[in-house]
Formats: sequence, C-alpha cells, structure tokens
Amino acid sequence: MKRALAFLSLVVIFAALLMALSPEYGIKFGLGGEDWKKYRYTDDYYIKHGVEEVGGMNIVTDIVFDYRGYDTLGEATVLFTAIAGAVALLRPWRREKHE
Amino acid sequence: MSDDMGVIVKTNARALIPLIGIFGAYIVLHGHLTPGGGFQGGATIVGTGLLFLIAFGVEEAKKVINKDLYSALEGVGGLIFLGAAMLGLSIAFFYNVLWHKGPIFNGKPGTLLSAGFLPIMNLGVGLKVFTGLVSAVFALSLFRRWKK
Repeated sequence: MKRALAFLSLVVIFAALLMALSPEYGIKFGLGGEDWKKYRYTDDYYIKHGVEEVGGMNIVTDIVFDYRGYDTLGEATVLFTAIAGAVALLRPWRREKHE
Repeated sequence: MSDDMGVIVKTNARALIPLIGIFGAYIVLHGHLTPGGGFQGGATIVGTGLLFLIAFGVEEAKKVINKDLYSALEGVGGLIFLGAAMLGLSIAFFYNVLWHKGPIFNGKPGTLLSAGFLPIMNLGVGLKVFTGLVSAVFALSLFRRWKK
C-alpha cells in the first residue's frame, strides 16, 4: 500500500517535470538568435568580456575562479570536509589497535 | 598473501605513472588556456596514486605515503587558493589585482604567464584535490576487515 502510494507520487512528479520541460509550456532547448539575447544574456556577457576582464582564454576557468570565486571556495570546502570525514570515519577502532 | 600485481603490470605502471603525472600537471598548469583546470588536473594526477597503490600493493604504498604530509599539503592547497583570492583585498575579495596591475601574470591573454591569479589558484586547487583524494583512497585501502 505504502509502496503503491510512493510509486504513484513518483509518477505524478515525473509527469509534472515532463510538462515543465516541454517547449510549449516550459523551458526551451537549443536557444539561438533572439532567444539567446533574451534568456542567456549573462552567458553573452561572460563570452564577450571574459578575456579582457580576467585574462584567461578558458571562459569556464574565468567564471569559476574569478567571477564566481565564492562558489569554487565553497566547492573546495566541501571537498575538504568530505575527505576529512572519510578519513576520520575510516580510522581503526580503539579496540582493534590492541588486538 | 601478497597484494601486489605481476611483473608486467608493475613494469607498465613504472612507465605510465610519470606519463599520467606529466599530463595531469599539464592540465593544471594550462587551466586558464585549455579545457581543464585544478579539479580536473588534480583528479588526473590522483590516477598515478591509484595506479601505484594497485600495482605495487598497500605495503609498498605505506612506505611512500606519509599521511601527515598529505593532510598538511591539502590544507596548504586551500590556503594558496584563499591567499590568491585575498591579493586584491584592498578593492574586493576575489579581485584579480595581478591581472589589472600586478607585476607578474599579466602577459598577453593566451600566454602561460597571464590571467592574474588563475594559475596560482589552479595550482592550489590541484594540490588540494590530489592530496585529498590520495589520502582518502589510502585510508580506504588500509581499512580491511572483511571477517568478523
């Protein structure tokens, strides 16, 4: 019973997401021309001004390290925390060391 | 029970580990010019550590991998990143002062010594990813309690 309800709600969520992804109601794919200027103006700015403002030819590196450096800082923190947690959890237990 | 591989795998690992390391260092150093960067290049260099660990076994890796050094280097990588971000703190955090009026790293876009603090940050992040993932995998390989 619970399983059937869970499966039913999954189907409902999936249908709603499919609806949101359809070009008639929701987002569009393969933007170009006027739509590019209308929906992707931020990307347009990065592509046009990235090289002169940051200096790197790699626009992705320009964005993740300069324009949105805080995001990369948080990403590095997440990595650090994950490594620290994994290493801390994988240490030998206190009892096993004496055996 | 020996946990290292046969002689063919070991010889191939001896030949491949420098190649993978050089390619990873290339990805990290050219992060501001070509696709890739600190995270990708660091993860590539981790391949050398994994290959060493698998081909030569845990006992051999225990002699080489110093966990204090690796944990310290991970912190140093993060500090390099933060230090490069704080270079232009008089104007703003993450202000690329080396690119706008710095003494170095302000060459023509497309050359190696350009793009301000981006190469420094790539180095820091690459060091951090490499040491962090190697120490995580090494800790996982030392955790061996299949019985009980």
